[in-house]
Amino acid sequence: MLENFSFRTIAEYLPLFGNGFVATLWLSIVSFAGALAVGTLLCAMNLQRSQVLKLPAKIYIDAIRATPLLAQLYFLYFGLPRLGIVLPELFVGILALALNSGAYIAEIIRAGILSISRGQVEASVASGMTYSQRMRLVILPQAVRVTIPPLLGQAIVLVKDSALLSLISVAELTRAGQLLASDRFMPAEGFITTAACYLLLYYALKSLAVLSARWLGVRPIRVRA
Amino acid sequence: MIEFRGVNKWFGALHVLRDITLSVEPREVVVVCGPSGSGKSTLIRCINGLEAINDGALVVDGQRLGDRTTNMTGLRAEIGFVFQAFNLYPHKTALENVTLAPIHVRKIPRAEAEASGREMLAKVGLADKFDTYPAELSGGQQQRVAIARCLCMRPKIMLFDEPTSALDPEMISEVLDVMVGVAEEGMTMMVVTHEMGFARKVAQRVVFMDAGAIVETGTPEEFFADPKTDRSRAFLSKILRH
Amino acid sequence: MIWFQLQSLVGSYPLALRGLGMTVALSGISLVLGTILGFALGVLRTSGSRLLSSAIGLWVDLIRGTPFLVQIFLIFFILPELGVELDAFTAGIIALTNLAACFICEIVAAGIRSVPTGQVEAALASGLSKWQRMRQVVLPQAMRVSLPPLVGQYVLLIKDSSVVSAIGLTDLTRVGWLVVQRVPNGLLVFAIVGIGYFIVCYPLILLARRLERRMSAAHGEVQL
Repeated sequence: MLENFSFRTIAEYLPLFGNGFVATLWLSIVSFAGALAVGTLLCAMNLQRSQVLKLPAKIYIDAIRATPLLAQLYFLYFGLPRLGIVLPELFVGILALALNSGAYIAEIIRAGILSISRGQVEASVASGMTYSQRMRLVILPQAVRVTIPPLLGQAIVLVKDSALLSLISVAELTRAGQLLASDRFMPAEGFITTAACYLLLYYALKSLAVLSARWLGVRPIRVRA
Repeated sequence: MIEFRGVNKWFGALHVLRDITLSVEPREVVVVCGPSGSGKSTLIRCINGLEAINDGALVVDGQRLGDRTTNMTGLRAEIGFVFQAFNLYPHKTALENVTLAPIHVRKIPRAEAEASGREMLAKVGLADKFDTYPAELSGGQQQRVAIARCLCMRPKIMLFDEPTSALDPEMISEVLDVMVGVAEEGMTMMVVTHEMGFARKVAQRVVFMDAGAIVETGTPEEFFADPKTDRSRAFLSKILRH
Repeated sequence: MIWFQLQSLVGSYPLALRGLGMTVALSGISLVLGTILGFALGVLRTSGSRLLSSAIGLWVDLIRGTPFLVQIFLIFFILPELGVELDAFTAGIIALTNLAACFICEIVAAGIRSVPTGQVEAALASGLSKWQRMRQVVLPQAMRVSLPPLVGQYVLLIKDSSVVSAIGLTDLTRVGWLVVQRVPNGLLVFAIVGIGYFIVCYPLILLARRLERRMSAAHGEVQL
C-alpha cells in the first residue's frame, strides 16, 4: 500500500484539505479569542480575596483540568439539546475549545502576574499607587509580556485539540483526512496529509513563540500543574 | 609529576595559555597567582583534562594527556580537584559525598570506604557533620568536605582552583589550615590562590601568570621580597594593600 | 423521568466499570512503558551523539506537532498496511506510550540540562565514568526538577487516553457515548464520566502542585 502512495489522490482531494485547513485555522482563532476572554475573567475572579468569586473560578479551573476535553465536548454535544439549546456542531466545538482552553489560560495569566517580583510591587506601593494603578501601570504591562510565549504554547495545544471536533462531524482538517481515508480506503494518504497540515501550523506557532520570547526578552515563567 | 612542555590553548580566537613550560616535582607545592583572566584556572583545569590543550605536551604522572592510550578516568582518580564553588553533591550527605568515588571508582567495599570517609571528615574538623547535607553547612565547612572528598581517593596530586575566593573572610583560615596540613603530609599540590600567607608558609615555588603566559617563577621569599617584573610588582602592590 | 434515567444508569454500571478498567489499564501500561522509554530518550537526547540527539528532537517535534487523534489513526490504520497486525488495544498502547515517551523525554532532558556544570565537573574530576556520573550525580538532581512536570504529564496522559475511544476501545469516554444512546441525558451521563476521570486525575494534580511548591521552596523562591 505504501509503495503505491498516491499523490494523485491527494491532489484530487486538495480542495477538501484546503477547506479543512482554513476551517481549522479560523475556528482555532475564534476559540482562542473566546478562551482569552474566559481565561481573563477566571483569572480575575481567582485573584479576588472574596471566596464568592474565587471559589467558583477555582472549582471550574480544576474540574476542566482534571477531565478530558473529549468528555467535555460530548457533555456539551449531548447535553445542550437537553437544555433546549440546539447549536450547530461547529458552535458546540468552538464553545468546548474556548471553555477548555480558558481554564489553562487563566493559570498562565495568573503565573504571569505572580512572576512580577515583590520588589516591583513594593516600589509601586512606596510611590503611593492604589491597587488599580499598580495593576494597570506596573504589574499588567510586565505580566502581559511574559505570558505571550506560553499563550502561544496554549494556542498550539488548542489547534491540536481542535482535531477532536472531527468526532462530532465538524468539517475541519482531521475530518478531511477521515473522508479521504474512508471514501478511497486510503488512510495513509488521508492522515499523513492531515498530519503535514498540522505540522505546518505547529512549526509556525512554535517559531512565533521562540521569536516572541527573544523579541520581548522574557524568561520562561512556571505555570503550575 | 606534572610537566607542561610548550602548551598552548585557545578559546576560539582568545589565546588563553601561551607556551606554558613548567614542571612540578613530587611532594612539591606550587602556588599559581595572577590577575583575573590570566589563565591560571585554565592551567590547572588542563591537568585533569577538564580543559583540553590545543598544542604542546602535558605529562601527568607519567601519562601524556590527549594520547589514545591514556585512560583519563583512571588518571583523574589519582588527581584531586578542589573547586572554587565547592561543587558538593547537594543530594548527598557529607559522608556520601566523600565515599561516592571510592565506592564506585576505586571499588572499595562500602564499610571500608565509610570508615575512611569518617576518618577524613574528622581530620578536616567535621566529625560531627557526617550526615549533614551541603545546604546545611557553611561555605568553609563545604570546602573542607570537598577537600576530604579528594583525600578519600588517596590521590597522588591535588589541585586547588581558588579554594577560598567564594568564602566569607572569617572562614578562609579554617580552609587554609586544612590545606597546610595536607601540604605538610607531603602531597604534590598546585594551588591557584591569592592567599600569600599560605604561599609563604608551604609553597616551594610561586608562579605568576599574566595574559596566558608564565611571567615569573621563584621561591616565595624571592617573589614577595623582590618581584622581578613590572607586572608582578603591580599585581603584588594591589593584593597586598588589602 | 430523572428517576427512570438514574435506574437505567445504575443498570449500566458493569459497563461503566469495564470502561474505567480499560482507561486505567491503557493509562497505567503506557505510563510505565512511556516513562522508561522517555527516560532513555531523555538521557540520549542530552548525552548521545549530535546526530542521535537531533533525530530524537525531530521525532519529538513530529509527535508534539500533530493531534493525538491523527497519531492514533495513523498507527491503527497504517501499521496493518505495513504488515503489522494489531488490535485496537495494542494500537492504543503504542500511541499513548509514544506520546508519553516524547513528552517525558523533553522533561527529563530539561532536568538534565538544569544540573549545574560544576556538578558534572566534580564527578568528572573524581574519576566517575560517564554512566556513573549520570546515575549517581546528574539524574538524582535532574529528578528534583523533573518530578512535578512528570506527574503533570501523567494527568495529560490519562486524559489523552480518552481519545482512543475513537478507534472503538470501550474506555470510560466510550462507555459514556454508548450509554447516552440509550439514556438521552448527555449532561448527566458525561458529568458522571467526568467525575470518573476527576477522581483519578485530581489527586495527581494536587500531588504535582505539592511537589512544585516543595521544589520552589528548596530553591528559595519567594511565594506570592
